[in-house]
Amino acid sequence: MNTADYLLQTGKDTAPAIFSKGSWVSYGDLRVASARLAGELLAAGVQLGDRVGLLGENSLFWIAAYLATLKIGAISVPFPTVATPEDLGQKERFVRCKAVFVEKRSYRKFSSAFPNDLTLIFDDILMDEGPIWWEAASANFDLQKTAALMLTSGTTARPRAVRITHKNIQANTDSIIEYLDLTNSDRILVVLPFYYCFGTSLLHTHLRVGGSLALCNTFAYPETALDMLDSAECTGFAGVPSTYQTLLRNTTFPNREFRFLRKVQQAGGKLPTVNIQELVHALPDAKVFVMYGQTEATARLSYLPPDLLGIKLGSIGRGIPGVGLHVVNESGNLVRPGEVGEIIASGDNISPGYFNEPEASAEKFIGSALHTGDLATVDEDGYIYIVDRKSDFIKSFGHRVSSQEIEAHILELTDVVSAAAIGVPDDLQGEAIRVFVTLRKGTSLSPEEILDFCHQRMARHMVPKEIIVVDSLPTNAHGKIVKTALRERGEKV
Amino acid sequence: MNIESQIRDYIAKNLLFSSNGYRYADDISFLEEGIVDSQGVMELVLFVEDAFGIQVDDQEIIPDNFDSVSNLAAYVRRKKQ
Repeated sequence: MNTADYLLQTGKDTAPAIFSKGSWVSYGDLRVASARLAGELLAAGVQLGDRVGLLGENSLFWIAAYLATLKIGAISVPFPTVATPEDLGQKERFVRCKAVFVEKRSYRKFSSAFPNDLTLIFDDILMDEGPIWWEAASANFDLQKTAALMLTSGTTARPRAVRITHKNIQANTDSIIEYLDLTNSDRILVVLPFYYCFGTSLLHTHLRVGGSLALCNTFAYPETALDMLDSAECTGFAGVPSTYQTLLRNTTFPNREFRFLRKVQQAGGKLPTVNIQELVHALPDAKVFVMYGQTEATARLSYLPPDLLGIKLGSIGRGIPGVGLHVVNESGNLVRPGEVGEIIASGDNISPGYFNEPEASAEKFIGSALHTGDLATVDEDGYIYIVDRKSDFIKSFGHRVSSQEIEAHILELTDVVSAAAIGVPDDLQGEAIRVFVTLRKGTSLSPEEILDFCHQRMARHMVPKEIIVVDSLPTNAHGKIVKTALRERGEKV
Repeated sequence: MNIESQIRDYIAKNLLFSSNGYRYADDISFLEEGIVDSQGVMELVLFVEDAFGIQVDDQEIIPDNFDSVSNLAAYVRRKKQ
């Protein structure tokens, strides 16, 4: 079955689907909007396999445009809204779209990104009468077809897009629904953008079960999201580490009660254990799901069952249903408990490869298994603990030091909001450790005090040489700290 | 320099990295126009605390107080009273 039909299969026409800008949109309204945009794509001459861009904040228009693109057999390319026009233009030239869905207000910023002859379909078209198309679902749809190209923020300057098939989406969606036990009574507050695979997974899973999504595009003012959690009666919330660090350290979140919140999802990087404990403490009635994934795996690869948080704290858990997740050493064998190796994943959710990059694909996807680039250990019970990204290790005094471990120590100081450790060339140490931190506002904590704390807590080769306090850390479109930017900034500080 | 000009100057220099000033109307929403993102909001909070000697409470960091030059200036004036 086509993924658009798969996603819209269960929601009742009268049931609420999306809460956006103060009002509810039903599944019936969503179906009408999707059919209207599908009709528009066909009228514009878009055909099977054509790329169709999608640019805008989370909205009814975004969701309907995405479903319409999938439904006609075209390939959706969600663009980030935080890019510069030049950056976006480069991404579009890389994927070459036949048409682009654009939200009017985003267009003001990005008008220079698109060539003049490109077909643009704006959000206000939903207000107009026009062609409508939605063919009945067919059972013999080729699931190996590409459904979406998900742009990733790789470390290289050139764009990279992960091919995601219809099969990938449906397999990953089914797995996530199973372990989160989602039903049509689940309602998630969405602060993550849908162009990011974690955001898209929230969309996929909640639509598939006929549940609902409350869209909050103002997380820059986190209190607005907290208010909405309660006023829109949300049962679920999802965020990346920076989301939770902001909520825990710089908002009223720890002191508030959320009457409906039952399931909290965290992924998109390692949330330091001290923050996980604070999160669990702040939400005694909710289940906290620590999860792990990659865009190359559609979204999700592992989760830690909430009742194991006490004994397996710091673990990303084990493979989700349908996913084989193993940690393998350099000889290609499964690691023994305690030994470090690379996480390798297999399953129907693993992408067939990158768009137009055969060589990079061959390195990352070997025999249909995804080589994640994440180094980890496994305990006696098979639970996986990430040590670091391969590329983020620091070589200090001959030791290989995990940058994440240094950061976790420093984050035990409750006045530290976020931390990022990098290695800088040093004659004595090989690489000296430099840590950038952001602090809770109003604190008087000094770099010297942080260094004192490090000296008391850490082995000598792990102690930073330098602590630099900054107002903010550079993050990518998904809220992840960009360490390459810090390394480049390095010498200038 | 009045409060509005100080805010405009700060945003132009530190958030927009613009050499030709803040070129929006005072009632334009920062978020809608993409002038600030979530990091930018926190930087604005620190800026108004330092520049105007006020203490911003977490629950005051909302669009009504922070999401345009006019809103922010009005908020600063209320706090200074």
